[in-house]
Amino acid sequence: MSCSPFDLRDYLLGELSAEERRQVDVHARSCGGCHEELERLRITHSTLLALRDEEVPQRIGFVSDKVFEPSLARRAWEAFWGSPAKLGFASAAILSATLVIFTFFRQAPAVASVAAPDASKIEAQVSARVSAAVEKAVAQSEARQASKTAELLAAAEQRFARQRQADMLNVEQRLSVLQKRYNVRENMLARLEPPGEMK
Amino acid sequence: MIFRAVEDTDLIRKARRGDVEAYNLLISRWEKRVYNYLLRIVADREDALDLSQDVFLKAYQNLRKLDDPARFAPWLFRIAHNEAFSSFRRRRPEGETVPQSDFAGERIPAKVSPAFPIELSIAVTTALDKLNADQREAVILKIYQGFKFEEMAEILSCPVSTVKSRLYTALDVLKTQLAPAKSRGVT
Repeated sequence: MSCSPFDLRDYLLGELSAEERRQVDVHARSCGGCHEELERLRITHSTLLALRDEEVPQRIGFVSDKVFEPSLARRAWEAFWGSPAKLGFASAAILSATLVIFTFFRQAPAVASVAAPDASKIEAQVSARVSAAVEKAVAQSEARQASKTAELLAAAEQRFARQRQADMLNVEQRLSVLQKRYNVRENMLARLEPPGEMK
Repeated sequence: MIFRAVEDTDLIRKARRGDVEAYNLLISRWEKRVYNYLLRIVADREDALDLSQDVFLKAYQNLRKLDDPARFAPWLFRIAHNEAFSSFRRRRPEGETVPQSDFAGERIPAKVSPAFPIELSIAVTTALDKLNADQREAVILKIYQGFKFEEMAEILSCPVSTVKSRLYTALDVLKTQLAPAKSRGVT
């Protein structure tokens, strides 16, 4: 029977804490019986370890077999719940959708209660106002276009008249120059001809 | 200290999502331990290999039932323990109990390690044969697989006190067999 503070077999089997092991070591140094018992246990343990592990004669492995794989839906479901980012995104999306739906269903009754009775009348009034505004805008636009066209025609006629006047003046000047040149030539020919040959 | 780029828990999570390659990597880490545990129990290399394959197949099929991936090792060995005992039950007619002496069948010749002489391996095998099945399995789980008492209790599905009792008794027997043998110069 051992007088050690802790079971020497627990010491050997690694079930004691560091402090408990230290106490056993201290005791075994001063107790011959426990020292011998501990030595026998150590010899037993080390001898047992002479029986070594064998290598596996054939590797164990699986191939990708659809039979063992979970379904696509299950994989997607597990991947979804296994991802905090996706969960966060989904939460934000659900919150946004809830806000949109809440806003939509909250406003709809208020609009319906006010607008529903006079809807046709308001629609007719709006249509009349729109038609009047369109007609007025078209008339104004046509008037602006007519005025602008008249101005452009007048300006063009003025430019044409001025151009014609300038052309006539230019022609007259050229005719005058030609006439002068002709007269000069005639005078020179008259001077060069002998007096007896004069007709 | 062994550094692992990917922890077992990560591989388990991937395998749960159907990643077979992750599970194959997990197998490569554990197959030697499971095989040797079963080999020392069933004492037949072919049976041990077949059972190992069954263990990893069952583990894969039930991976979702593993509550805490950090407890993978005792959970896996619990499956191995059940498979080994189921194997023994299948071999015998219904209602007939398995005698303790037959639990491990005929002892397989130990493969001799160059670091240890054959006499030492024979002495260890002979000493282990003196134990009953429960005591032998307790020694295998503790000495060769390094499980804690709580993990052994989980694997064997019994109280920690029972585990301790089996192990202490086994150690007393083994000490009687092995320590004097070595002092007499068997080695």
